[in-house]
Amino acid sequence: MPTAVAVDKLVKKFGTFTAVNGVSFNVAQGEVFGFLGPNGSGKSTTIRMLCGLLLPTSGTATVAGFDVRREPEKIKANMGYMPQLFSLYQDLTVAENIEFYGGMYAVPRALIVERLSYLSERLELGVVLDRFTGTLSTGWRQRLALATTIIHKPPLLFLDEPTSGVDPITRRLFWEVIDDLANDGATIFVTTHVMDEAEHCTRLAMMHYGDLIVEGAPAQLRQDIVRNMVEVRATPLWNALEALEHAPEVVEAALFGDAMHAEVHEDIADPEATVRIALERAGVQVEQVERVLPTMEDVFVSLARRHEPADRAGRKG
Amino acid sequence: MRRTLAVARAEWIHNLRDPRSLFVILALPVLLLLLYGYGINYDLRDITFAVYDLDDSEVSRDIIQSFIQSGYFKLTEVITDDRRVRDLLDGNRVVFVLVLPPNLQGALGAGRPADVQVLINGVETTRASAAQGYIDAALARYSQTLIADYARRQGISPPQPLTVHSTILYNPGLSSSSFIVPGLIAILVAILSALLTSTAIVREREWGSFETLVTSPVQAPNIMIGKILPYVAIAFVDVLLSVLTGVLVFHVVPVGSVALLLGVSFLYLLASLATGILFSTVARTQQLAILVAMLSTLLPTILLSGFVFPIRSMPLPLRIVSQFLPPTHFLIIIRSIYLKAGGLAVLWPQVLILALFAFVLVTLAAKRFKKRL
Repeated sequence: MPTAVAVDKLVKKFGTFTAVNGVSFNVAQGEVFGFLGPNGSGKSTTIRMLCGLLLPTSGTATVAGFDVRREPEKIKANMGYMPQLFSLYQDLTVAENIEFYGGMYAVPRALIVERLSYLSERLELGVVLDRFTGTLSTGWRQRLALATTIIHKPPLLFLDEPTSGVDPITRRLFWEVIDDLANDGATIFVTTHVMDEAEHCTRLAMMHYGDLIVEGAPAQLRQDIVRNMVEVRATPLWNALEALEHAPEVVEAALFGDAMHAEVHEDIADPEATVRIALERAGVQVEQVERVLPTMEDVFVSLARRHEPADRAGRKG
Repeated sequence: MRRTLAVARAEWIHNLRDPRSLFVILALPVLLLLLYGYGINYDLRDITFAVYDLDDSEVSRDIIQSFIQSGYFKLTEVITDDRRVRDLLDGNRVVFVLVLPPNLQGALGAGRPADVQVLINGVETTRASAAQGYIDAALARYSQTLIADYARRQGISPPQPLTVHSTILYNPGLSSSSFIVPGLIAILVAILSALLTSTAIVREREWGSFETLVTSPVQAPNIMIGKILPYVAIAFVDVLLSVLTGVLVFHVVPVGSVALLLGVSFLYLLASLATGILFSTVARTQQLAILVAMLSTLLPTILLSGFVFPIRSMPLPLRIVSQFLPPTHFLIIIRSIYLKAGGLAVLWPQVLILALFAFVLVTLAAKRFKKRL
């Protein structure tokens, strides 16, 4: 697969603050590349450099084969970008906004009509076409923003938290559209906070305080990052949680629905037995202890904890 | 082209749907023209005066009559107490007081020199100096009749004074509206154009739409032209509205070619719009952009373009500055078209300069506009 995005030791500093700290990764054509990380970890700054909106402080990046520093305009012709903040004209109707984007990307008029009807149906925008954009709720605004971003069928798509503030049904719709685009061969570069969305991606990269801390396929990450995850059912659950939080073998324990997930130190050979003993010692009635595959959220939390900012306070400005 | 038009169409819609910009576009030019057209008036009619007639003779009443009949003066009060003279002048109730001394008729009859006193309120200098001119003329005319009468009584023909026949070309009535209205149109277009475009780019930053605008493949010059295009039409409407208001309200009709006027206006408003959009690429908030646009166009164009003060009487540094203001050159053109029916044969240097301004300013704005955050 040819490379759609190639990033090498990319750095962005704002004054003394390092927003992106020497990040390197590649995205192959046709991938759905999930870019994860907490707020302020440098995801949007990276995307903005890739879109030619910000000049990198150092390092190189090529997008669709073009250098972000030297040929940003050629990149722009080959991509779609949906910013994190809503950026459409609120005094235009939904249809007018879509037509405006079609015009900016010089989509032939006949094709705009065709795309408009496709998008109206696929994103269910038909009912709001004549509404002023300013009167739409967040979910509808995000649908419209996605529609304008893909009006010209870009081969490469940057979506910066497309599903933030969006209800689960709309979110599912979004991922259906994203999957459609990927099936048609488009490369998708998407950031998100929602960990179950990360499962939709073919590959993930996680940013943390400007560093890229891990990269891999979702299934692989779930297997590799957190080896000893157990699910615990016990009563009373609160006492169980307290007991595990104080157990030296347990790295992290958190409520998970009506049960509890506990990450046991990876040197422990039999995590189930270790947890059971710790619980029984605390006088908690154990119902079930079972080794499970961690969720993406478990992986995310575990990784974030391992890269605490306190460890790296010296490096940050 | 498609891309440019898409930008232009969106900008057009923003303006049509925003009541504030509609007001600026349609009402402001007419309002300002009315305000300034009526406010700035160099013509003096009905100069108010009071009379303190200590002689109360045939001659003194004759002098008063000649003032009233001249058509320039309006007698508002006959004073009988000399303290009243100061009261009226201090209170700005009259422009001047005419004091006719006692024994005026007697002195004139005896062939002795006679004095008439005029006390002029000098607080408003332009009005005072204009009034002085009219008063001198009125008194000189009365002296003429005295000499003529004397000669007639002596049976000799009166001495013939040198008669001056001055003919004022282009504005025979020296009506100040004919001078001010075209000037006002030039000033209004400069200010309104800069005001209109000053928010065009910075607004995108505040709306957040800047980010998607600059990640689009629309090139910087196309964005600039697309942004300016709707305002060319809008500013053109403003020119028409101003010309029409001049004709209908002030009865100032251009004697020259209206087609030429509109053609040159196009270059002029292009230069003015580009000035505004240049500010818009620099400023970070709409308020700042509007403020800068107002300050940098309002004062210099009114004071330095030759609208109020003749450029020829300015000190050299200001004369040089004035040459860098598009209104300076447009003023020459529009006054010439309005009053002299001036054509391209005479006006081509100014037209050329305006075209240069338009080109340089649009290029500068496009260069200044960076497709980055």
